[in-house]
Amino acid sequence: MFFGQIATWIQKLSPDVVTKGLRVAVTLVLGLLLVRLLAVVTQRYVMKKSTLQRRMVVRKIIGYSGFVLVAMAVLAELGVKLTALLGAAGIVGIAVGFASQTSVSNIISGLFLISEKPFSIGDVIRIGTTTGIIQSIDLLSIKIRTFDNLFVRIPNEKILSSEVTNITRFPIRRMDIVLQVDYGQDLQRVHETLAAIAHDNPWSLDEPEPVIIFNDFKESGVEVLFGLWFSKSDFVELKNSIMKEIAQRFAAGRIRFAHPRRRMVPPVVREGVAP
Amino acid sequence: MQKSGIAVWETLEIPQRRCARWLFPRRSIWVERIETEWHVLSHAQEIAQRDSSLMLVGRSLKPDSSQWRHYLHRDSGSVQPSPVLPDRPVVIRPDRALTLLPGQSTVFFLEIPVWFRLSTTGARPARIFEEPLAVLTRTWFGDPVTGELCWGLATRLHHSLDSVVASADRAVCPLMIENDSETDLEFQKICIHVENLSVFRGPGHLWTNSLHAVFRGPDQVTQIEIVHTPPGFEERLVPVSEAREPSAGWNIRRTFGVLKYFTDF
Repeated sequence: MFFGQIATWIQKLSPDVVTKGLRVAVTLVLGLLLVRLLAVVTQRYVMKKSTLQRRMVVRKIIGYSGFVLVAMAVLAELGVKLTALLGAAGIVGIAVGFASQTSVSNIISGLFLISEKPFSIGDVIRIGTTTGIIQSIDLLSIKIRTFDNLFVRIPNEKILSSEVTNITRFPIRRMDIVLQVDYGQDLQRVHETLAAIAHDNPWSLDEPEPVIIFNDFKESGVEVLFGLWFSKSDFVELKNSIMKEIAQRFAAGRIRFAHPRRRMVPPVVREGVAP
Repeated sequence: MQKSGIAVWETLEIPQRRCARWLFPRRSIWVERIETEWHVLSHAQEIAQRDSSLMLVGRSLKPDSSQWRHYLHRDSGSVQPSPVLPDRPVVIRPDRALTLLPGQSTVFFLEIPVWFRLSTTGARPARIFEEPLAVLTRTWFGDPVTGELCWGLATRLHHSLDSVVASADRAVCPLMIENDSETDLEFQKICIHVENLSVFRGPGHLWTNSLHAVFRGPDQVTQIEIVHTPPGFEERLVPVSEAREPSAGWNIRRTFGVLKYFTDF
């Protein structure tokens, strides 16, 4: 019934309109299929070894520019004069350009980020107070999943002008633990205990060697820097085990941590003189 | 039934209601078959044993622990324990500084701790589990950016097989080195890519493929060749486990890497 009505409606149309309609439909379908095919072939064969974000950007460039070309071809088929349209588009473009300076700035920053490659998808980065795993790097922003499972979108412009720390760029890292031991402790024994803790910990690398530095004489005790090298995937295991070990071994070896202390000296009270 | 020494690596039939117990110097492994499941318990030895042994014991003797792991596999019957080499390169730190003078060559016997792998036998063998038999330290070889994660092992460089004590939990790796240069070759660390080596079982020892290295100077390519035939230091060697990553032969990238490992530059 429905298809019969459509057939009757088409029969009423002039042959020119039908032909034009068919050509528009074919241009649209074939054009979009071609764009899709081009994107797939580029992804699978040409950019097989490229990074994820580069592939994603190329896919988007092909998609958007292909869509614009198909739209122009369809409009040309419909008899729309593109020169007039482009002229109008230019005026609109200036207006939109003024209105979307931030977006353009983000896109340009995105292109710089893609070419500079300070990080890639899957890296753990820290920007300001936000630390998380990069989910995607787009033209306008990057998306991060924080460790407490929050989704954070950071505009590219901000990333380009901020200090970004890529925590997982290199395969090994050093975990620095700053301790304070009480004055009066045998520092040689402290050194030996820390060296033994590092040696016995299964997650700590023995090469590069752990760093043990007596940093400073602080108000309440001697500050010690205890730095352990580890493979970047072992952060949690090392952190938990080493903190427990330090507490246990220090307690067993009677090594005291420094605590803030205040010594109160009462004023000397003389006979007949008010304090 | 009790076996000791190298014989602990022989194929074993575990009857119902019996437990197999492997005792190695630093680890004990319990395996039991219940219907379609393999039950496995592995734990470190608190007191190191001198030798390795295998025994079938009654179920009443099996340890009560929450650490038992269960693997589902329909094929019952016999299991094949195999010594396999660690899953990462091993950095050997000799117990003493040693310098090979120009024009000299020597053979070292390195003892590499093996891992325990248990597989089912039959038409379609399946790996049940794998465990290291000794705890090795984690170490990094190379610079912090391009180096690689390895296992570290402080050991003795044996010049003669006589000083190598037969053990079921260590494989002997013969390493022949020629110093074909005008400079001294100092050994501080040697990185052995054990993932490229197979393991052979002999009457007295476990063996890996032999390695042959020619040092031509710090600025030249040092080549390490893996000899794919069983080492000829013991008769009647049988292959017991293949290399994790079989090496096809010369590899320029790895060879350059090996140069760095050898010279420590």
